[in-house]
Amino acid sequence: MTTDFEKRTQEVLEESTARLDGRTRSRLTQARHAALAQLENPARNWWRAYVPAGAAAAVAVLAVVIWSGPTQPVASPVEDIEILADAEAPDFAEDGEDLEFYEWAAGEVES
Amino acid sequence: MTAFVTLAGVYNTPPFRVERSRDQDSMTTSRALDQFLSSVERRAFKIAQLGLRNDDDALDAVQDAMMKLVQSYASRPVDEWRPLFYRILANGIRDMQRRRTVRGRIMAWLPARVDEDDDFDPIAEAPSHDAGPAKRLELDEAIGVLETAVADLPPRQQQAFLLRNFEGLDVNETASAMGCSAGSVKTHYFRALESLRAKLGEVF
Repeated sequence: MTTDFEKRTQEVLEESTARLDGRTRSRLTQARHAALAQLENPARNWWRAYVPAGAAAAVAVLAVVIWSGPTQPVASPVEDIEILADAEAPDFAEDGEDLEFYEWAAGEVES
Repeated sequence: MTAFVTLAGVYNTPPFRVERSRDQDSMTTSRALDQFLSSVERRAFKIAQLGLRNDDDALDAVQDAMMKLVQSYASRPVDEWRPLFYRILANGIRDMQRRRTVRGRIMAWLPARVDEDDDFDPIAEAPSHDAGPAKRLELDEAIGVLETAVADLPPRQQQAFLLRNFEGLDVNETASAMGCSAGSVKTHYFRALESLRAKLGEVF
């Protein structure tokens, strides 16, 4: 239940509000229009909708870069085994052209 | 005010109608927000002015609250706008009061300076409407003592008093705006009334 004192204070505050000067009322109207312009010009904030997707994409790219990294070609042991297990003889053995040179070289190494 | 619809329910309609409904709802929401903000802006300014004792700061606080309400809560049901708006405003006022306290502590160490921009503009400061001289004098006095007494209240009592008595929020809406329980609102409001009665009893 509202008392007379409460009614009186309410009336006085209402009167004070009604007396606001023109400059203040004008600035309040401008503030309201500026706030509502956010609804009328959503294009100004269109990028906000893409922020989460953009952030996720950036994280994914970063993860891929870190995961793959600047790798150097490393010879796989499997490749070595394939070479050793190759049934074909080396080229010099088949051609027989420089066989004497390789025999001399082997002798030099042993001596 | 309650006749305005919210954006809820739009998404159950076929795609073509969704576009039309969104446009229509956007216009409806814009109009509803315009009406709502114009209905509260002057009282909101008065509340901020009494809390901050500075017109420019009060205008900044009200504008900030308007921007945040439209930005973040435009799609919420219309009934929720008022407590949400006053909650944002109350937070803004409190933040400004805290910043001012910190600034005051820092400035206390610096030499005082005269503010040359504080010129008095008689046209801008002119009241918006006139009344009889006697009535006007009486109201001037009443406004002066009441506003001084309200501005001197502790922040939470001031908030409870202005939201309940001046803005006309009920206890639950005030509690929502102040971020406290209904019981706390009643206590703050009761203490504010007692304090104001003690100061204004003879004048009122």
